[in-house]
Amino acid sequence: MTTKAPDQSRLDGKTLSGLRRFGGGWLYVAIGAPLLGGALLVWQAWILSSVVGDAIQDGASLDVLAPGVITILALLLVRAALSAIGDRAGTAGSEAIKRTVRSLLFSNLLSRSPRAADQPQSGAAAAAIIDQVEALDGFFAKYLPAMIQAGLLPIAFGAIILPLDWLAGLLFLITAPLIPIFMALVGWGAQIATDRQARALSILTGRFADRLRGLLTLKLFGRDQAETAGIVSASDELRKRTLKVLRIAFLSSAVLEFFAALGVAGVALYIGLTFIEFLHLRSSPMTLQLGLFLLLMAPEVYNPLRLLAAHYHDRASAKAAIGEIEAQLGKLPTEIVPLADAPHSHQTSALGLTLAGLTLRTPDRARVILSDAKLTVAPGEHVALLGPSGIGKSTLLEAIARLRDYDGQIDIGQRPLTDWAENDLRDGITMLGQKPRIFAGSMADNIALARPNATAAEIRRAAELAHVAAFADALPEGLDTLLGDGGLGLSGGQVQRIALARIYLRDAGLILLDEPTAHLDAALEAAVLDDLQRFARGRTLIIATHSEAVASRMGKAWRIAGESLLSTPMPANAKRSIA
Amino acid sequence: MKALLTFRKLFAQQARGLALALLLSLIAVASGVALLGTSGWFITAAALTTAGLAFNLFVPSSMVRGFSFIRILARYGERLSGHNATLKLLSDIRGWLFARLFPRLPLRDRSLRHGDLVSRLTADVDALDTAFLVAIGPIVAAVIIGLTLTTVLGFLLPLAAIVYGLSFALAVIVVPVALVIASRTAGKLNVARAADARAAVLDGIEGHADLTIFGVLGTAQSGFTATAQRLSDAKGQLSTLTAAAGFAVQALAAIALIGSLWLGLQALSADQIDGAVLAGLLLAILGSFEATSAIVRSVGKLTTAMAAAERLTAIAEGPILVSDPVSPAALPADTTIAVNGVSFAYDGGAPVLSETSLTVAPGEHVAIVGPSGAGKSSLLSLLLRLADPQAGQITLGGTDLMALNQADVHRSMALLSQDSPLFNDSIRANLLIANENADDDALWDSLSSAGIADFIRALPNGLHTVVGEGGRTVSVGQARRLCLARALLSDAPILLLDEPTSALDRVAEVGFFETLRTAARGRTVIVVTHAAIPDGSVDRVVTMGNGRLV
Repeated sequence: MTTKAPDQSRLDGKTLSGLRRFGGGWLYVAIGAPLLGGALLVWQAWILSSVVGDAIQDGASLDVLAPGVITILALLLVRAALSAIGDRAGTAGSEAIKRTVRSLLFSNLLSRSPRAADQPQSGAAAAAIIDQVEALDGFFAKYLPAMIQAGLLPIAFGAIILPLDWLAGLLFLITAPLIPIFMALVGWGAQIATDRQARALSILTGRFADRLRGLLTLKLFGRDQAETAGIVSASDELRKRTLKVLRIAFLSSAVLEFFAALGVAGVALYIGLTFIEFLHLRSSPMTLQLGLFLLLMAPEVYNPLRLLAAHYHDRASAKAAIGEIEAQLGKLPTEIVPLADAPHSHQTSALGLTLAGLTLRTPDRARVILSDAKLTVAPGEHVALLGPSGIGKSTLLEAIARLRDYDGQIDIGQRPLTDWAENDLRDGITMLGQKPRIFAGSMADNIALARPNATAAEIRRAAELAHVAAFADALPEGLDTLLGDGGLGLSGGQVQRIALARIYLRDAGLILLDEPTAHLDAALEAAVLDDLQRFARGRTLIIATHSEAVASRMGKAWRIAGESLLSTPMPANAKRSIA
Repeated sequence: MKALLTFRKLFAQQARGLALALLLSLIAVASGVALLGTSGWFITAAALTTAGLAFNLFVPSSMVRGFSFIRILARYGERLSGHNATLKLLSDIRGWLFARLFPRLPLRDRSLRHGDLVSRLTADVDALDTAFLVAIGPIVAAVIIGLTLTTVLGFLLPLAAIVYGLSFALAVIVVPVALVIASRTAGKLNVARAADARAAVLDGIEGHADLTIFGVLGTAQSGFTATAQRLSDAKGQLSTLTAAAGFAVQALAAIALIGSLWLGLQALSADQIDGAVLAGLLLAILGSFEATSAIVRSVGKLTTAMAAAERLTAIAEGPILVSDPVSPAALPADTTIAVNGVSFAYDGGAPVLSETSLTVAPGEHVAIVGPSGAGKSSLLSLLLRLADPQAGQITLGGTDLMALNQADVHRSMALLSQDSPLFNDSIRANLLIANENADDDALWDSLSSAGIADFIRALPNGLHTVVGEGGRTVSVGQARRLCLARALLSDAPILLLDEPTSALDRVAEVGFFETLRTAARGRTVIVVTHAAIPDGSVDRVVTMGNGRLV
């Protein structure tokens, strides 16, 4: 892992600042409220020092002091309210930003081609969109207001104090701007170390997701203890890396503590020495009231900086998070890509398919899968696509469905695939992939994915045609049974049938099916195919399969061998025997 | 809170580190309070003194300097030691969770989505491990500082001690407790919403092709936007509560200060207190509010940690459905499998197996065929003791499976399931999971038996090729073959294969069964399949239908 160039870090910082525009007015409130609170603080300190000074030095009576005490109470309460408002507004602004960034990233992912080489792993993408975006929170909600306070308040306090006591004022005016410089020096080191740490965290998160998915397999191979130890040692590695960062990062706050303590101690000694007339640096005599005011203000001058230091790592983690997000998902898009559903029309006219000079490669373009392929499927024909596993049947179907890049010519309904509007294409053709996704939701929701406005009756019919109803009805909640991520609790055959039911909600002219019956036994396969073929009458149907029994039901068969697509004699109608 | 107490043992393991962090944080806050108090007393005393240059400078000035440096060092040390202890705790909790999860697999809860599990492991564990550093520590420190200053006030300004003590107690105890109670629901909602959002992202990416094909990207987008909005709303709700509590703490601090000020001024006018002492006390009170400023943030984190602890214990302390016997029998050398009148149903569902009986002799190759849902895969689960039958008995070498250690059972059987995963690791590492001592020859043997050796050999990095998440860099068929090679590599005397050829073409399928015959010679093989089995490739074919053998 190479460390990031300072350029990259600056770029990440710029991207981060650019996101402020999504925060709206809330961010201004979050920044403005503490500034107003700071102004009121000066007033509060002045009155407090007057009350105490007058009482102690001049023996002022309680009646004289009472209005001042009430004013201090009021100021304290108003400042408390301002701070609460600022906090809440900061969260509101940062939530608006995070929400927008999440939508930006998610929409951008969806708008790309599903099979593009640069599509990220799902675990990494989820970590980026949920966790890394969450890590932006502190930057906007805390760091940004703190930064503005740190930039303005110490100077303002110093400027107010300067005419009252030039030495204390000068001390504040000089040290306050110096501190950030020292801190920045320390911060550079921390930033570099944080970048390393973000990657390590990402890798570790990936490891969790990965190992979890196969936890049962690991258990069955007796790996429970080894994997438990592995997780512990990976976390320990994380600890060591983190501590390396922190050792540097905490130095920057130590620098600050040093100056803050020095400020208080220095002012206290200076005032004390002036009182006992050891120092004679003032033209007018020092009053106890002024001395107390300076002492009260001394920590407050450094407090905005301390606040900034407390949230300094928020900036570092936000920058690292932006870097990690862009590393995983590419450059942060500037606008949300509007995505719309393809309207569903009832078009049943069969669509023919012509391939000419078609060449397919792996997404990284390293390997040719199919070269110079030619094929014509007449409208309404039912065709089998045969070939050993891994030869490229799925790739070919995905190219026809425009999920993949290709070279050469694909015509659907005598129109080049590239000329089809996305909406028309999705309306005209449909496909069942080899690894259909079962989404979080009910079984009915999963079927209705194909047509979100489908009625319950239509869903029911699709479920019956795909032989989903048969096993769904045995469950207490039937089609309303909730399915988990990845279709936990379902067999491979059941997943495929649920996905097949989606096809029946579409009215496509070209249907592409990838191993639709791979997990089914012969009897169920036959029943499923009977219904499928009945539905597909008058539509073009292409089934990729390695089952000769499935192929023998089709009108024609093509085979992928080597890198070529060849017409092949129909397999004999050899039904697979059960036993 | 109860769930959080479950983790007290893990916390106790880091007790020394955490105690050190707490002590250092106390020293830091206390020296801050002392610094301001001493300074206030010093300048007032200096202003009031008539001694001039004879005023004793040495003591106060060295105290001021000393407190400053103690504070700086204590602060740095507290942060570092606290984080170190916390991160140690993190790996402990992760290890604890894995150790808890393994015996509870397979998890029965169907709503336990994969994304949700990931969320639990990372976010919840993180929330839990920082519980001490950001939640418990600052509250304890604030209580101790408040008590100390109240005691000091008790000697010097007894009435003010009552006002200060009460306000401080309200601020560091009552407000936090109230906030915990008020934000419990919001905290839980937060964690759940984050899990939903994560699941939505996983669905969007894993189901990208399906969403594109059906032209429902718009629905997916608006669905995600709504999920993200709900997550935001949950955070906003929590933030409102936190802001309100923050206001309460600051208002109480104001009351403590103003009360002490007024009572102090009264005492001063009655000559009951020295002016310099009063100034010092007031500044010390102001300084002590530093301890309260972190309280609200702490409570927010504590609530999150408690919600996380509840979710973690829900999964990690759930019932173990299959447990090892108290005094396990030795694993018999004989590997005869006998299934006698076994009936089984999942969690009160419809019966999957009813009174099934089957005997498989050592070294025998048996194929189980039958329609989908006939209970074939469930029978394999029972053989592996991933579940126990409701009636009947399964024996291995004449010993009841329930009398054996699960680890022994698993060691004697290797499973290739329908959804066997590949890990995001090298091909070699993926294979070695089955048998960590296997040498390269054994790896290549199993790869050629699975019919994928040529493919691997042609890869530029060979066995060191990393297969991506979920085996993304290889095709489904190749992934199946790699999983098969892994099962073959294990030295288990019994192989359980669930649809081993579902992603293979017919030629490869026939080839597979023929290879299996020789590759698994001497081992028992039970293969569940839909495939047409070539003649002579298995010893026996049994058919299952409706939960029994026919």
